[in-house]
Amino acid sequence: MKYKLSKFSDRFFKAVFLLCALCSVLMLLAITIFIVEKGVKPFLPGNANGNYSLFNFLTGDVWKPSQNIFGIGYMAAASALATAGAIALGVPTGLLTAVFIAEIANEKLAGIIRPMIELLSGIPSVLYGVFGYAVVAKIIRSFSPYHVGDSLLAVIIILSIMILPTVVSISEAAIRAVPAAYREAAYGLGATKTEVIFKTVIPAAKSGILAGVVLGTGRAIGETMAVILVAGNPEGGMPGGIFDKVRLITNNIVLEQGYASGMHEEMLFSTGVILFIFIMAVNILLNRLKKRIGET
Amino acid sequence: MSRKTRDKLISAVTVVAAFISAATLLVIIGFILKTGLPVLSPDFLTGEYNPKTSYLDIKKAPRAFIAEKTADGDIFIREFGITLKQTKDKEGKTAFTVTGIKSGSPALEATDAAHNKRPLKTGSVITKIGKTGTEGLSIPAAADLFKNAGDKLRIKAVIPGGGIYPMIIATLLTILLSLGIVMPVGVCAAIYLVEYARGGRVIEIIRFATECLSGIPSILFGLFGMLFFVKYLNIGQSILAGSLTLSILLLPTVIRTTEETLKTIPQSYKEGSYGLGASKLQTLCRIVLPGALPGILVAVILSTGRIVGESAALLFTAGTFANTPKSVLDSAATMTVRAYVEVKEYGNVNMACGIGVILIAIVLTLNLSSRFILNRLNEKRRDRA
Repeated sequence: MKYKLSKFSDRFFKAVFLLCALCSVLMLLAITIFIVEKGVKPFLPGNANGNYSLFNFLTGDVWKPSQNIFGIGYMAAASALATAGAIALGVPTGLLTAVFIAEIANEKLAGIIRPMIELLSGIPSVLYGVFGYAVVAKIIRSFSPYHVGDSLLAVIIILSIMILPTVVSISEAAIRAVPAAYREAAYGLGATKTEVIFKTVIPAAKSGILAGVVLGTGRAIGETMAVILVAGNPEGGMPGGIFDKVRLITNNIVLEQGYASGMHEEMLFSTGVILFIFIMAVNILLNRLKKRIGET
Repeated sequence: MSRKTRDKLISAVTVVAAFISAATLLVIIGFILKTGLPVLSPDFLTGEYNPKTSYLDIKKAPRAFIAEKTADGDIFIREFGITLKQTKDKEGKTAFTVTGIKSGSPALEATDAAHNKRPLKTGSVITKIGKTGTEGLSIPAAADLFKNAGDKLRIKAVIPGGGIYPMIIATLLTILLSLGIVMPVGVCAAIYLVEYARGGRVIEIIRFATECLSGIPSILFGLFGMLFFVKYLNIGQSILAGSLTLSILLLPTVIRTTEETLKTIPQSYKEGSYGLGASKLQTLCRIVLPGALPGILVAVILSTGRIVGESAALLFTAGTFANTPKSVLDSAATMTVRAYVEVKEYGNVNMACGIGVILIAIVLTLNLSSRFILNRLNEKRRDRA
């Protein structure tokens, strides 16, 4: 009897554990379904709030909900430019920092810089935004041709700071994972220290470093609260230079979700769907990279 | 350029890069501390955000305070130990602003109509003394009203806001509720993945979903939370809806961290337990979970850090109100959400930085404590090996 009872409770709890494990699947499905369902409505015939052309939505460079104009082309361009800029600035800095920590600095110095970088990743994104608003944007205003601080440049600077910790910590791990034999062989052939690092170690750690870059990209694309305070968020206009005000995809949602209704609200969810597609593409790329790292 | 100089040059470049990375942190933290520290005060931490008009009962001091020299036009009320200045209230009527309160003043022990303690603060604006409104009242006349009051005087005053007490309470409630939801689910999920799963398609799907979930930006969680919890389940903008949204966002972190620790429990411990006739569940409860406790604690710490710093997911699920929440069904802004609103709506960088100082202190504490736990854990593991 007792044996049977314990067998029953074992089975019961196994079911409970499985249910909990399935929670992430259920939630991912729920998020996808709810956002996509509401987001595609304006593009399907017979929508209660009216229809909108998908082409105009994706390529439009004006967003004026009051006049029923919903174009997010200029936001997608801004998001892409901001992310590319952040990678161009943040990745070299992060990678070189990782090289310094892993290969050049002594244990003591590395032990000081590493926790500092870690702390950087713990700072809430809003505070980056406050810093950007009060410091970065002010500095940019002093030399911007438009005398405005809110700009693509400010967004890029803030984003590159934010992806720094991700790039540093993952690159450092990848560099450390390169077997010592590689280095010894390179030294044996008469290479200098930096030749060893840049011609042997980094090529060997390439996949891992790339994973860090992709992860940083995901973070840059999805970042909202930090950049909203320095972007300027105009109602239209393709970004033409680094001093132009920009509105990123993520910002669009936060700025207007509070009061939107009807077609306007659906359009914000459509914006969410575009963001979702971007992020999923990044995720799948990351997954591929991880598998490749596993193989080597 | 010789190879040696090139070697030195490239090394120097990495030093510069590391210096830039570290300096960025110092500049950001320096800016927040410099702007935020002067804002911090007991009033900032314990005061309400919105100014509040209330009737206050103040007892007369047993002995009058020693007369004090005051600024021109101000008057020191010896019976109550407060300094008053004639000003105008919001409607432009004559009122009296409290410019100073002596320590030990009975005004600090004032109570409201419901007998709750509600101390008078510097900056409070008095609009009624006893039964007399202050419109058209001269300073000596007001002083007389105070002097001739009985043992107890009732005044009507607007107590200034600007504190972040409501946001602190909202943050604490959100932390407790979110952890209360996500920890059991996450730990159970990790137990399934490590102790029960035998590989196969289901596990692959669960792992993929968890990974995807951890990559989704928080604003999408916010959108979903608003649609599902706030509207579809009709919970309304509230701490509960916010915490439910956060729980989904935290799930991957909790599962992954717990999984890592569960994997480190030596197989021999479990085999020993089975050998003694324990069931799987008994082994889990008595052997596996106690051993995984430090790791679960780390999951709690990491999650708390994310909750404290999160804003995009909470903006439309928990709301931006700055009133002290009475229950988890009230809409209330956490500190971080409020910091955003203050800057975005009012350009109030000072308050945001004041909140920032607290946030950084919290993040630093959490960071250090998780590192401490992990170090202890590693030492133990080394001893065992």
